[in-house]
Amino acid sequence: MSEEMSFNEIQAQLMMDYYMGFSKYARGRKPEKKVAWVTSFTPIEILEALDIAYYYPESYAAVVAASGKEQKMLEQSEANELSLDCCGYSCCIEGCLELQKGPRGIPPLPDVLIATNNQCNTLPNWWNILAKRYHVPLIVLDYPGERGNREAAMAYVKTQHEDLIHQLEKLTGKTIDLSYVNELIENSSKSIAAWNRIVKSMHTREISPTELFDGIVFLILSRCKPLTQKFYELMAQDMEEKPLADMSKKKAFWLGYPLWYHPKRYLEELLADCRVVGSNYITWWSLDYSGVDVFERLFNAYNYTFLNLSQKTRNRKLQQVIQESGADFAVTVHNKSCKCDYVSARGLNIPQAELAADMIDRNFLDIEDAKRKLDLIRSIL
Amino acid sequence: MRILSLSSFVPEAICDTVRFTQYSGERNIPLYCGYVADFISQVQHDESVDGAIFPKTCDSSRSIRSYLDNIRDKFVYELIVPARHDKLAASYYAAELRNYREALVKHFQIEITDETIRTRMGMLNARNAQVRNMYKQLEKIRYADYLKAIHAMLQLPLEEQVGQSMDCAEVEMGKPVYLVGSFLANLTLADAIEKAGLTVVGDNLPESGRLVSLPEYAPADDVFAELAKVHLSARLSPTQNNFQEILERDMAEIERSQAAGVVFVMQKYCEPYQYLYAVYEKELAARGIPCTKIMLADTEDDGRAALVLETFAELLEVSA
Repeated sequence: MSEEMSFNEIQAQLMMDYYMGFSKYARGRKPEKKVAWVTSFTPIEILEALDIAYYYPESYAAVVAASGKEQKMLEQSEANELSLDCCGYSCCIEGCLELQKGPRGIPPLPDVLIATNNQCNTLPNWWNILAKRYHVPLIVLDYPGERGNREAAMAYVKTQHEDLIHQLEKLTGKTIDLSYVNELIENSSKSIAAWNRIVKSMHTREISPTELFDGIVFLILSRCKPLTQKFYELMAQDMEEKPLADMSKKKAFWLGYPLWYHPKRYLEELLADCRVVGSNYITWWSLDYSGVDVFERLFNAYNYTFLNLSQKTRNRKLQQVIQESGADFAVTVHNKSCKCDYVSARGLNIPQAELAADMIDRNFLDIEDAKRKLDLIRSIL
Repeated sequence: MRILSLSSFVPEAICDTVRFTQYSGERNIPLYCGYVADFISQVQHDESVDGAIFPKTCDSSRSIRSYLDNIRDKFVYELIVPARHDKLAASYYAAELRNYREALVKHFQIEITDETIRTRMGMLNARNAQVRNMYKQLEKIRYADYLKAIHAMLQLPLEEQVGQSMDCAEVEMGKPVYLVGSFLANLTLADAIEKAGLTVVGDNLPESGRLVSLPEYAPADDVFAELAKVHLSARLSPTQNNFQEILERDMAEIERSQAAGVVFVMQKYCEPYQYLYAVYEKELAARGIPCTKIMLADTEDDGRAALVLETFAELLEVSA
């Protein structure tokens, strides 16, 4: 079937598959599968293998902001005693859940909550609030990161993954097939390989960063599905055939989260005379699934996510990505909602315009201050 | 050696540390929890500090490494404390504590044997028992004196802590309150609570309620396994991701101590406590227990506590 489907048809199918369970479309119908709410770097290959439907509240917060509805949700969250100093994703979704409203309704209710700390420690904290709301089991996956003894970390993570499998087998009444998990990991790897081609195309082709900020969605939501792999292969072909970009323009690297509330996801109006040739955000889901067996592959992919790396390693990786992009300067977004990414730009060897913004709350940005900083960097260059 | 410690997850059984309390100096690390930001500043600027040990348990503490990475002449160690507190986590934590010992030995060229650790565990049992004994008398003693005594102890070598007198004035019972929060860096807050006519009858602070909940260290062949087991058996921090257990234990203690209200103190940008507050406040509201919140900017800030607490005390009077 996927060989016959066009890019747009696959995109529509993937969207439909993901959102059909949301309350706006489900109309009271209960999901047939067990439902998990997961954080962005959860080993979803395990869930997919056990036929569990998984949903990403963070990702939905981006949708809410893109639909222009985040302010009401943030206000509701604050009224509900969750400070707006907290992550905008959590405040936005807590507002949705309290109001039972959202551009696509709310996701199907969870049977289990799975939180990881390989992106930040805020997400497991937020998932505790969700556990209190929904009275369902909360599983926290602890990824030690880069520092420390690798063998001990791998043993710890492997045991947690085995325990996760055991708990989910109990939930579903199914038995996992590890060879199928391996196949799903292969799918994820291929989706990522295709995505990496797309990222590379951005350096020299006439490609708006908006296409990648929005386009990465399926790498987050459904990277291990065969249709996702096909989607990105088609997208890569399309990107590689785009016209060459105007190389005379100054090249900017968007260092930080997209601004989800912005129609273009970045400050296009302030960068009209530049080309955005790369972003670190679009590399975060390029996970490395290398390893000799399923557990080592999952460990390497999920323990060494970008925000779980040391500053030294982050600097090295970022420097490499920036160099490959050919960027002349960086627009560094200090995201109020993400302290972990706040330090990513430390020690980088590139001129930076540092802006204080929030990925969800459009009111946080001082646009005049942003203009001044970008004008300053232009004058320096 | 003067090693500054940020957290009660750093076992004092391995070597002497100085618990970080307060910093007075230039502040230029915005948008992080003030306690962490001040800790970073202290390590960077205080020449008497030989080292820093800190956990990776929240988003602010995750950033510490990035700020201290360029320090070459001090011992800087990030302790990977598990985000879980089950048997899986204990095993990993034990390995991590062993790494911590090895790193200390290598950096300072000292010896830290298993036997030394066992001896220190015994001393800690005695010290904790002493603090526990005082904790049981909270409604009769001046809370500010009690916390001051603990903070002073935590600056001393362990040998000097054991048997250290904890002189606390006796007080008349005021309106009983339960105190929730992270390390109470600014002790004027404790004074302010009592000046407002409130008496702290229980708390879950790391240096008090959580410290006294530590089980005794047992003599063990594997000292690191024992350390890990004990530290993960104490009352939980919100960084250990089980808010339900925190609520159950705290509500039980609030009920037992007949606290009339709860004072919730936290640093701005401290997300574990901010998320905890969102559910804690609701739990209290459902039980009809008034709560007030004090938000602090840094380790010297008092969050206008005097005014907040005065108002809260009046509220408790009216609700009685």
